[in-house]
This record gives sequence, C-alpha cells and structure tokens, in this order.
Amino acid sequence: MKRIIATVLLALVASVTPVSATIDDALSLALEAANPYVKEGFTVREDYWGGDLPVKQTKAIVHQLFKGNEYWFWMATDVKDAKISVHIYDSDGNLAETESKAVPVNGGKAHASFVRPKKTGSYYLIVEIEKSPEERTTWSLAYGFR
Amino acid sequence: MKKAFVLFCGLSTFALAETADTVPLKIDISQLPPQSKLIDNVVVPVPSEIFGVLDRLGKPNWTAVLRTFKRPIKPSGDQSQIALLLGTVIAEGFIAVEAENAEEVKKIGNNVLILSKSLNADRKAKQRAQSISEAADRKDWQTVRRELDKALDDVKETMVEMQSEQISQLVSLGGWLRGTEALTAVVTNDFKPDGAELLHQPMLLDYFEKRLANMPTKIKSNAVVTKVQQGILDIRPLVGTVDGTQISEKTVKEIGRISADLVKAINAKAQ
Repeated sequence: MKRIIATVLLALVASVTPVSATIDDALSLALEAANPYVKEGFTVREDYWGGDLPVKQTKAIVHQLFKGNEYWFWMATDVKDAKISVHIYDSDGNLAETESKAVPVNGGKAHASFVRPKKTGSYYLIVEIEKSPEERTTWSLAYGFR
Repeated sequence: MKKAFVLFCGLSTFALAETADTVPLKIDISQLPPQSKLIDNVVVPVPSEIFGVLDRLGKPNWTAVLRTFKRPIKPSGDQSQIALLLGTVIAEGFIAVEAENAEEVKKIGNNVLILSKSLNADRKAKQRAQSISEAADRKDWQTVRRELDKALDDVKETMVEMQSEQISQLVSLGGWLRGTEALTAVVTNDFKPDGAELLHQPMLLDYFEKRLANMPTKIKSNAVVTKVQQGILDIRPLVGTVDGTQISEKTVKEIGRISADLVKAINAKAQ
C-alpha cells in the first residue's frame, strides 16, 4: 500500500514539475540567435560551453582568439523571464567587445557580444545570469568567427 | 554537437560590480577565483579559424602546404596514436579546403571514416564522409569546413560516451599540431609579424600540457604520446606568455620543426 501511495505521489509531483531545462535547449536558442550572422559569413563552431548558474553569479571562460578575425559570442537560456549577459575581456581585464546586445529568440532569452581582437591571445568570456525566476538557470554559449 | 557537457560551478565569490545596464570597462583578472581560471573546458580552435587570417594577410600557397594521400590511410598503433592521426587527417582536410582541392578533400573524408571505424566511433562517420564528398564535388567549401568540424565533434562525442574522453582529447591535439605545422610553413614562407603572432597560444599549450600529464599511464606510455608530450613542453616557452608578444622568424621555424617532427611521428606507418 505504501508503495502505491508513493508511486501516486511521485506521479503527481512529476505532473506539476516542469521538465528541467537542458543545455541542449539553451544551445538551440543560442544557435537561433546566431543564425542571422551565418548569412553575414560567420562560421559557427560545433563546440560550445554550457552549464547552470544562480542569479548574480558569473562564470569566466578563458578562450583563445586570433587578431585578424571577428567573433560573435551568443549566450542563451530557455528561461523566458531571465536576463543574461556575456561580455568579453582581454588578458589585462579590459572590456574588449565593441558591440553587446540582447537578441530576440523564440521561447527564451539571448545576449550576444562582438569583438575584433587587437591582439592574438587569451580572452575572458564573462557569463552572468542577471535576473531569473529559477534558482539555477541553464545557459549555453556558442561562438562564430569570420 | 556534443550532448554531454560539463557543469560549471557557480562562482559566488566573483561578482562583477555591475548595475543592470552598465558593464565594467575593466575587471581584475587576478581576482577571479582559482576555479574560474581552470582551463578544463577549452574549445580548441579549428585550423580554418587561423587559416582565414593568413588568407587576409597574403596569398598563401596552400597547395604547397597540403600533403596528398596516395592511398587510403592505414590505421597504425594503438587507440591513442590513431586518435592523434585522426586529428592530423581532419586538419589536412581544412588545408585541402584552403587549397580548393576537391579530390583530396574526398580522400580525406574517406580516411576520416577509416580512422573513425578503428576507434569504434564511426556511428555518424559514414554520413559525414558522404556529406564531405558531396560538398567537395559542388566546391561548397563552407559546407566542407562545417562537416569537418562536425566530424571532429562526432568522434569526440562518441569517445566521451564510450568513457574515452582522454582519447578524444588526442584527436584535438593531433589537429592542433598539424594546423600549427601548416601555420608555421605559411608564415615562414612569407614572414609577417601578424602571421607569427597567430602562434601565440599559451593557454592552449597549457591546456594540452595539463591534459597529457593527467592521462593514464597506459596512454602516456605510448612512444608517440610521450614524444608529443615532450614536444608540447618544448613549444610552450617559444610562443611567449604575454599577449602581444612578438614571435621571431627563427622561433616560427623552430616551432615548425618541432610540430613537423611530431606530425611525422604520428603519421609513421600510416601511408
């Protein structure tokens, strides 16, 4: 009997708990944000970053960029009411991006930043969940170059 | 796209002093907590990311850089060596695209399939090889580049699923070595400081060095892997530490010599 009750309770909980967001869902939105730039000649890499973060916490990703290229970084989440951001800093900690903006996507939020590196070397991609109704917000970050 | 992914830790100790709509113009990189500076999840650039810059700096003779395959590749050595070999073959594919050599691209697509099978990572390789071949016939180089990147990712994804993530890292390393060898060949042929600067990749070298050091003894004991590990240590001081470092023509040649030697060791008995 206890087992049946537990099963019913579990079923009830499952029916009201939203399906957890996945990095793949966030990635689909990041790629949706990237789509217009592909038409402008940007090659979007297959590799990407992702994870989940609480509100107001950041993550720094170190990434190699090459002078002579242009880069767009697209960050997305499928949490509709979230506000997210990605910003690009050089190895001295200077803001390196020349453009940064929210990008409309269906079913979530996306933010993109653009950089034309002045030097070849390591850059810091700072991702942040600025606002979110969720305790932890799943995100994904893709990039493209030309 | 790889599905398995690493969960990043939230960094409560590092918060940007930022209001909702302002972005700090400067941050203190040294204040980033140690875990945020770890390079566990490095995305290794594909060769075309660098080759595109070289194309803008001059007119590289990619045909001279390209190594042609006279016959289908023969997988040789253990899994770690085959993984390194696969990486060099995929990088050769990017060079073949630069050279706009459709026949060679098709051969490379087939070689990717042969090597993927040897690694038991050929689930998507047949379809990928076909896409590469069809795009090469159409001279649709952008699609070939994309398919090569996907081939790299397919193998890595399968290896991760097979609990062989370390082998998958060797694929990236092999690709990086052949890409670096090609880069040094182009820069040596027509030296320009901006071209040489593309070799300044200390973070990637640190990443490879760390990954190789943490590989199981079984992998590290392979003679080719041991040689590659030493080669990475030899290249590391040559690329400089500070961004903006000028890399001399002599240093470019030295990096070229080391990377060529490693690529030759990886490819021994493969053709």
